[in-house]
Amino acid sequence: MVTDLNPMNGGFFWCFFIVISLIFYQLPLAQAIWLNLPSSGTRCVSEEIQNNVVVLADYFVIDEHGSGTPTVSAKVTSPYGNTLHHEENVTHGQFAFTTTEFGNYVACFWVDSNSQVATLNLEWKVGIAAKDWDSVAKKEKIEGVEFELRRLEGVVEAIHENLVYMKRREAEMREVSEKTNARVAWFSIMSVGICISVSVMQLWHLKRYFRKKKLI
Amino acid sequence: MEIRRERKRNLQIYMLLGLWLSYVHRLSALSVTVNDVECVSEYVLYEGDTVSGNFVVVDHDIFWGSDHPGIDFTVTSPGDNVVKQIKGTSGDKFEFKAPRSGMYKFCFHNPYSAPETVSFYIHVGHIPNEHDLAKDEHLNPINVKIAELREALESVTAEQKYLKARDARHRHTNESTRKRVLFYTLGEYMLLAVASGLQVVYIRRLFNKSVGYNRI
Repeated sequence: MVTDLNPMNGGFFWCFFIVISLIFYQLPLAQAIWLNLPSSGTRCVSEEIQNNVVVLADYFVIDEHGSGTPTVSAKVTSPYGNTLHHEENVTHGQFAFTTTEFGNYVACFWVDSNSQVATLNLEWKVGIAAKDWDSVAKKEKIEGVEFELRRLEGVVEAIHENLVYMKRREAEMREVSEKTNARVAWFSIMSVGICISVSVMQLWHLKRYFRKKKLI
Repeated sequence: MEIRRERKRNLQIYMLLGLWLSYVHRLSALSVTVNDVECVSEYVLYEGDTVSGNFVVVDHDIFWGSDHPGIDFTVTSPGDNVVKQIKGTSGDKFEFKAPRSGMYKFCFHNPYSAPETVSFYIHVGHIPNEHDLAKDEHLNPINVKIAELREALESVTAEQKYLKARDARHRHTNESTRKRVLFYTLGEYMLLAVASGLQVVYIRRLFNKSVGYNRI
C-alpha cells in the first residue's frame, strides 16, 4: 500500500512542478527589458558582437491601456547593412542568427500607423546565454544539481573565452597606441625640420630673385 | 527499493527546482542612442533582489571636442522614488537592493545636443534566503549555495562586460587619435608649404611694383 501511494504522490508533485515551471516559462517577467515605443519614430537597440556568436531574441507587445494590443514592426540589420529579420504588423516575434562578422547589430522597432504608444518586451540573448541547455541535459542525461553545475561550468568557460578575447584586443590596442606615440614624436620633429627647410628655401629663393632683379 | 524511489523523486524535484531557479537570472547587454532621454525598464520579481549593472558611453568621432561631458543616469522604483542617481559621468557601475518588486525604470539623460550611444547591462539576481528555505521544505541548502555561486559568476561576467565596453570606448579614442595625428600633421605640413609659397609670391609682387615705380 505504501508503494502504491508513493508513485501517486511523486506523480502529482511532478505535475505540479511542471505546471509551475511552465507558468514561469510563459511569464518572462523577470527577464527582459521593456521599451516604450513612441507613437511615431523608431527605437533601436544595438550590440557590438564578435564573429561566430549565436544570438537569440524574442519580443512581444502588451496591451497596457486596454484598447487592444498595438502592432509593431521590427527590423534587425547586420553591420554591413544586410537585413537579418524584418516583420511588419505583429504583436510578437522571434529571431535567431549566428553572426558572420564583427560589428554593431541593430534591432529597430516602431509602432504601426495606429499612433498608439506601445510597450515592448525584448529578450536578447547572446552567446552562452543563448545556449540550449535542455538539449544538453537530454543529450548528456544529467539532471538536478549536476545539471546546474554543468551550466555553471559553461559560464566559467565563457568567462575564460572573454578574458582571452580581451587580452588579444588589449594587445592590438597597445600596438596602435605605441605606433601613434612614435608617430607623434617623429611628426613633431619632422615639423620642426620642415619649418626650417621651408624658411631656408624661402630665403634662398628670394636672394636669388633679388640678385636677378639687381636689387641686392 | 523505496529508498531508490525516494532518491529518484528527489532528483526530479531538484532538476525542476534547478530549472526554475535558473529562470530568475536575466541579463541584457545592449546599446541605445540617447538623444535627450532614453528609458529602459526591467521587472524585478522579488523584493530584496540585488539589481546590478553598468553603463558606458561609447565615444564617437567628434571633429573637435574635449573629453566627453557625460550623461546622467537615474533609476526609478515602481513607487516613483529615485533609487539611484549618477550625474555627469562617462560610465559607471551600480548596484542596489530592490526595496520592492515591480517595474524599475533605468533612464539616461543627455544634457547636450549631440546624440550619444550608451552601452548598458542590467542584471537582476535572486538568491533564495532562509525564509524561502523554511517555506519550501524541498528547497535544499545546496540550491542556495549554487545560487550564490551563480550570482558570483554573474558578477564576474558583468565586470567583464563593463571592461569590454570601456575597452570599446578606448579603442574608438585610440583610432580617433591615430587618424587625427596622421591627417592633422599632413595638413599642417601642406599648410606650412602653401603659406610660405604665398609669402614668397607676395614679396615678389611687392618688389615688382615698388621697384617698377622707383625705376619710373
